[in-house]
Amino acid sequence: MNEVRLDFLKELANIGTGHATTALSQMLGGRLFQLVVPDAQMLPFREAADYMGGLEHTVVGIFVVISGDVAGHMACVYPLNSAYALIRLLTGEETPEIDELGRSALQELGNIMVTSFLNALSKMTDLLLAPSVPGLAVDMAGAVWESILAGAEVAGEVTVIRTRFSAEGEAIEGHIIFLPNEEDFGKIARRCGLEGL
Amino acid sequence: MAKTVLITDDTAFMRMTLKNVIEKNGYKVVGEAADGEEAITLYRELKPDLVTMDITMPKMDGITAIKEIMKFDPTAKIIVCSAMGQKPMVIEALSAGAKDFLVKPFDAERVVESLRKIGS
Repeated sequence: MNEVRLDFLKELANIGTGHATTALSQMLGGRLFQLVVPDAQMLPFREAADYMGGLEHTVVGIFVVISGDVAGHMACVYPLNSAYALIRLLTGEETPEIDELGRSALQELGNIMVTSFLNALSKMTDLLLAPSVPGLAVDMAGAVWESILAGAEVAGEVTVIRTRFSAEGEAIEGHIIFLPNEEDFGKIARRCGLEGL
Repeated sequence: MAKTVLITDDTAFMRMTLKNVIEKNGYKVVGEAADGEEAITLYRELKPDLVTMDITMPKMDGITAIKEIMKFDPTAKIIVCSAMGQKPMVIEALSAGAKDFLVKPFDAERVVESLRKIGS
């Protein structure tokens, strides 16, 4: 992958993640603080699950299919302890397991983060990037990864963005995965004035 | 008498959040719909003064539901509450008959301001 393409993808990922993070902070009533600048990586998809904490770890994944002018897939993945922290912050409830209300809160949080990311890209490109109703999976990272990639055209590498926050003393970590279809990625680049990516 | 509101959103968490905000400000939530189809059925049954409508939902999306509700009652007052704030979607919702468009995450004041403005 050439360097310009990689830089452009990272820039898109950073802009989108910035908007998604702002949305999350608003949902939590301004109690969220970003600890590190989001780090976008391009990884072969087999390595991506390892990067997100290993195939055997239980995670929560919230995933959508993108349609409109750009087709693709997108997801947010949280380690289990971060998911519990988010549920506590959103609902005020301490639960020993992810119950119906917790699932619903995480689904809405994932939906708002993913859609805010896509809204930012839409504003930059004047293209429609419409997310589907989000799916939610609580499972080992390997299985969640398969749900996210079901039907995705993964040519080689995927963009994984790692984010870390702190809210009321809780450390929260999450990953955002953005997978536009190959030909539509070129469309986004052209709208931003970059030819031949 | 308190104005009545029908809430439409596919996640129970968002319905609960909206209900808290709406009821704290003197409105009465008379129904909760989890998709567009339910919203149409409940609108016909309850004839609420105001409706909040999500866009991305299973079974039937919010845009289709707005069109159907407007066919049944051209005076319906529908406020969209959706994360999907992209220009083509906002234009489509407003052309379908929605009176306002709130992009999630929204703050409580913005919701109340819209209910007051559209409901008056």
